[in-house]
Amino acid sequence: MTRGTKVMDLINRYIYAVTQKLPESQRADIEKELQGLVEDMLEDRGADRETASLEEVEQVLLELGPPVEMAARYRGRERYLIGPGLIDSYWSVLRIVLYSIAVALGIVYIVNFFISTEPTAEKLLEYLVSLLSVGIHGFAWVTVIFAFIEYRGARQVSNDPWKPSELPAIPEPATRIKPSEPVLGILFSVLFFVLFTFSINTFSINLIGVHRFAEHSIAIPVFEQAAFAKYLPLIWLLTAFSIFNEARKLITRKWTPQLAVMHVIFNIASVIVAVILFSDMTIWNPIFMDQLVQSGLVTTGDGSYETVKLIWDRSRDGLIYIIVVIALIDTVSVVMKRFRRKEGNTALTK
Amino acid sequence: MPEDQDILNSMVQELRRGTIILGVLSQLSEPQYGYSLVTILQERGINVEAGTLYPLLRRLEKQGLLNSEWDTNEARPRKYYIISQTGKDIYRQLYHEWKDMMTSLEGLINDKGD
Repeated sequence: MTRGTKVMDLINRYIYAVTQKLPESQRADIEKELQGLVEDMLEDRGADRETASLEEVEQVLLELGPPVEMAARYRGRERYLIGPGLIDSYWSVLRIVLYSIAVALGIVYIVNFFISTEPTAEKLLEYLVSLLSVGIHGFAWVTVIFAFIEYRGARQVSNDPWKPSELPAIPEPATRIKPSEPVLGILFSVLFFVLFTFSINTFSINLIGVHRFAEHSIAIPVFEQAAFAKYLPLIWLLTAFSIFNEARKLITRKWTPQLAVMHVIFNIASVIVAVILFSDMTIWNPIFMDQLVQSGLVTTGDGSYETVKLIWDRSRDGLIYIIVVIALIDTVSVVMKRFRRKEGNTALTK
Repeated sequence: MPEDQDILNSMVQELRRGTIILGVLSQLSEPQYGYSLVTILQERGINVEAGTLYPLLRRLEKQGLLNSEWDTNEARPRKYYIISQTGKDIYRQLYHEWKDMMTSLEGLINDKGD
């Protein structure tokens, strides 16, 4: 490279580094402007593009400052995917989700270790691969959720001027959300997610089922894999929804009407998914009882056979009711918390 | 102490930020391109870096205070800025604000000495 082209190259690299960090629409104009500026500054030093030494060009570029700062000045206000107000919550939720995934998959792995006949190395590899793929999933979901919260927040700010009277009340102890609550919520969502997804697909074993750890370990699945698999996306959506709710709880740390409504919507959605899932009789392993007999755990005609059969038949209907009851209790407790807060408010105004 | 110097520097920078706009608007009744404006301001003792001024000119244009035009007749293309009517109105008002501020501050600072 001749000196002239080296000089040109350095200038172009600087300008590229600046404009690359700017919106597409402004790039061409700013590029032209900066070219002119650098030339003017060189001229001030008694040189031009052709005669300037590398040192002179470097001096000029040093005076202009780091490209990152230059670009920032051109942009004016900063834009964020996840802004400074949310970044701490983002990291903590991300950590919780990733730890939960590691723990949940670890449980699957340990169970798999005892009941699967695959070689250990293969199982370990499977664990690591699924850790990576589920981890990336978790990372993507948390990021999308927070970007969405940030986007909504950014839009709300530019609305009407704020009124002091609209300042949110300091949360009553009863409406405060302890951080452990959403943390556990996320942990269980992820556990649930991993349990259903991985016990049915990848691991070719069934975590949800009857297990017997003996010399010949056996696993009798409760669910019919193929039929159950088509409902998995519903469970995934529910998990994402749940993490979204828990993340917002972790951010606000108190029950707001919005949060309570979202929580109730989530409960309703869970019940709907449960009803859809469990009213489809094909998801159940049709030969569960036969496999049980084959395994020698029970024998036909035995008293215990009848008991198990009764539980098996009843529990399939019963499960829906149990889920409905749990959702109902949870909903009532959340609504109660809101109600108590309102009571506290009226007491104050009296 | 270098820390004191840093604090002073950042305060001076804050003070200067608003005054640069006044300086820029005062000089743009005649069309100027970015670097000529840097030179004019520096000659008059207003120390402003090109890296600050160029983005500022762009922002003022976006706000409607300046108009711009590329001159491609010269050896190298240059973007000339000139103050708009809105710019003139705002400049006048801003100048008054500045003078009021100066008067008030002078009053505060001088009274204290008495």
